[in-house]
Amino acid sequence: MSTRRRPALAVLAIGTLALTAACAKGNAGGSADAGSSSAPRPSETNLTELFAPPKIEVGTADDSKGPAIEPEGVVKGSTVNMIDRDDYPHLDPGRVYDNVTANFHLLITRGLTGYKKVGDNHYKVVGDLATDAGQVSDGGKTWTFTLKDGVKWQDGSPITSADVKWSMERLFAPFITEGPPYIQQWLTEEDYKKSYKGPYDGKELGNIETPDDKTVVFKFNEPHADANYALAMTGYGIVPKAKDTKEKYDKTPVSSGPYIIAAHSLDKSMDLERNPNWDPATDPIRGAYPDKWHLEFGYQALAVTDRFVADTGDDQKTFSFYTHVAAERTQQVLQDKSLQDRIMRRPSPYGDYYYFNLDRVKDVKIRQAIAYAWPTKQIQTITGGPDTSVINTTILNPSVSGWEDYDVFGFKQHPEGDLDKAKELLAQSGDPTPTIVYGYNNTPTEQRVTVAIKNQMAKIGIKIVAKPMDTKTWYDATGKVENGLDMYWGGWGADWPTAATVFPVIFGPVRDGGYNQSHLKDPEVTAEIKRIEGLADVDEANKAWAALDKKIMETITPLVPGLNNVGLQLRGSKVGGAEIDPISWVVSPNTIFVKP
Amino acid sequence: MTFPSPAPSPAGTDATADTAGSAEPAQPASAFVGRSPGQLMWRRFRRDRTGVASAVIVLFFILVAVAAPLISLLYGKDPYTTYGLDDPGLLNEYGYPLLPNGGISSEFWFGIEPSLGRDVFTQLVYGIRTSLLIALAATLTTTILGVVVGIVAGYTGGRTDNLIGRVIDIMLSFPSTLFIIAFMPVVWNLLVSPGEEMSALMSATTLIIMLTVFGWASLARLLRGYVLSLREREFVEAARVTGASPTRIIFKELLPNLWTPILVQATLALPLYVTSEAALSFLGVGMMEPTPDWGRMFLRGTEVYQDDITYLMFPGVALLIFVIAFNLLGDSVRDAFDPKIKH
Repeated sequence: MSTRRRPALAVLAIGTLALTAACAKGNAGGSADAGSSSAPRPSETNLTELFAPPKIEVGTADDSKGPAIEPEGVVKGSTVNMIDRDDYPHLDPGRVYDNVTANFHLLITRGLTGYKKVGDNHYKVVGDLATDAGQVSDGGKTWTFTLKDGVKWQDGSPITSADVKWSMERLFAPFITEGPPYIQQWLTEEDYKKSYKGPYDGKELGNIETPDDKTVVFKFNEPHADANYALAMTGYGIVPKAKDTKEKYDKTPVSSGPYIIAAHSLDKSMDLERNPNWDPATDPIRGAYPDKWHLEFGYQALAVTDRFVADTGDDQKTFSFYTHVAAERTQQVLQDKSLQDRIMRRPSPYGDYYYFNLDRVKDVKIRQAIAYAWPTKQIQTITGGPDTSVINTTILNPSVSGWEDYDVFGFKQHPEGDLDKAKELLAQSGDPTPTIVYGYNNTPTEQRVTVAIKNQMAKIGIKIVAKPMDTKTWYDATGKVENGLDMYWGGWGADWPTAATVFPVIFGPVRDGGYNQSHLKDPEVTAEIKRIEGLADVDEANKAWAALDKKIMETITPLVPGLNNVGLQLRGSKVGGAEIDPISWVVSPNTIFVKP
Repeated sequence: MTFPSPAPSPAGTDATADTAGSAEPAQPASAFVGRSPGQLMWRRFRRDRTGVASAVIVLFFILVAVAAPLISLLYGKDPYTTYGLDDPGLLNEYGYPLLPNGGISSEFWFGIEPSLGRDVFTQLVYGIRTSLLIALAATLTTTILGVVVGIVAGYTGGRTDNLIGRVIDIMLSFPSTLFIIAFMPVVWNLLVSPGEEMSALMSATTLIIMLTVFGWASLARLLRGYVLSLREREFVEAARVTGASPTRIIFKELLPNLWTPILVQATLALPLYVTSEAALSFLGVGMMEPTPDWGRMFLRGTEVYQDDITYLMFPGVALLIFVIAFNLLGDSVRDAFDPKIKH
């Protein structure tokens, strides 16, 4: 869901996989067929279903009415506990651009729109504070939202259109640097902080209009068919105009959501109590079933897993937003039958790529030869096997709406790599024995992956020069235009499940610290991206994105798609309604309840 | 007339007492006269069964390390090919060997490595080679540096001694492991040009340099102490009075008396460097994939031991045997040189 948390998540995911490998089904001293691939395993039956992308559509005004759809067997009341590793870096919604913090903000912050769960793996973008998911006019340039009756701040004062306008304008202020850029750019220009400095000096932004207390009108410079998706991001959550304390708001936020922060001990714990002025009848998204929340921080994966496995006392009413099962325990968790009903699994919505540096690897035949020979299956084995990852063949993650499956390079047909085809292409290329400088995260797992890649490429005559790199500064180093590398891993997660938050970014402007890591500067692709961004019809745009995905891979091949990871978490036995959200890849608080 | 013996070490005189009570009783004085301290030491060492057994084991390891390519050739496998990934019948989909006991078979004597499926036997043989070479080189360089600095400090005394003493203090109090972990990536960046891979030789060299930089100080301090007491002894005084040059005094008078501590320290240092090298590889700043390495094998073993204990056993037990054998050897050498402190 974000760029900023991405490096950490990537490392986390890799770490998880590395450790998963350590604990997957072993055969030491066992019989020969105990772990053979032909033996039935509980996970295998479900894979297709598990990896089905969530269905996400835009809801109607009826869908936008509260209360939220209740999960089966819901019980209200009691206190739920949540344990995790880290406290939240920002309580000011405008400064949130990572999935974990955004997930927490569902408890205290509302926005114009949001994601409503309507069924299993089925979501609708509905009006949260607004009566519907927005009315489009002027060919997609004008978006009109009407606020619901009875929506209030925690002090009981009504939420007005002026508050919404203020919340958008303050994102231009110099102290807000962390949030998403989309709405600001659409209202002004790409470098949006140049044209407007925020509302604190009394200046207003002309193209957000508030004709009355209940109506907000956004007037964008160009058509944007998915403004309702963009506004569902926590970064566009609302802040009260009357109580905005600028930088200090990050410590003392005012709640518009179902809970109020009653106590907060930094990096240690947080207690939430009900917000008496939140009316479930106005909220289609948040269930808010427990009376109180007790959040604790500072727990590592192993401790969290052990507590859930033991499942005693108060831990039965405990779950975790994002702590995955510790590697050392994965096998135990997957094989223990008594834990099966407390396991949560979900494929990652993030895209993993092995980028080519197009400035250096200029011959498309070489790039395609590498793609054909790519040791997908070997990498999967090294990183923990098919229980924690699946083979991916596209640029878009399958969870992104509009994703269409294709397999240009036969990653699924030849998971071990199609060496003949690769050799054939290399023979036609300008240099049949190229040298590729490959940068990798210097972790034990990545070292092993690199060995596999190196051996595989040696078979077709490509020499891999492997450069170990520091994990902490990974994106700083590979994000430089002159990075001195030919190939490197990179990840990107869609900010909302449309390709409009993928292609314009990863094939966008080439600059230091930018996200166009393949340095693709094809005028045709850029023109096509601009054209699709201008399409008002979402379905048409989605189709065009999918076609562009395939076309880029077929004609340019700027990257080799990596594996899609699968998350694995546990929860306490008395926590109901918990599942890993397919959009944000963390456990959503909206459906959580405590069983008696 | 007194005769300034080149080596009137306590070991020499005490040797009589030692040999007197042993298997060769009542050695006449003529036998004592005819033997150098080295010969005496050798005789004493040969009678130490533990010492001889340790020496055989250590020699075996060294032989294995030296003959690694030959062993690999005869055995028909190499430590770099990922047999398990290339041949689908060896590893399951989680990357663990299908056969019991870590995939031990007539083809893979010590089993196959989890995940990458390389041959454990050749990995271990080559890993021992890597580790021993680095440890041996580091021992050699630290000993030479330690001896030079220690003698210079002890013999010259005064300001030089003071300065060197402070440098040694700093080196000894330095958190060396932390420093190496932090500094190693910087060194690599400096030495390796972009677009090139770091060669195994280069990382071995940096490791040896790092181990030397932090290893010489303790030996230097020890030798400085010895030299300080030796230089006031009569035979040194006498040499000085007769007009011997400092070079002659150092090499002919002092050094022969220092061989005991030097040899003992060196034999104890080598296993220490083997474990240090393993530890650094364990911590990620040692030898890189795909160079086979004892320490990295051990690290991987601790990650997968729940499912493949065999992979931990082979490098673990080999390391254990080697370090114990070498430490016992060091003890025996010291005892042979200096029977006064025999237990």
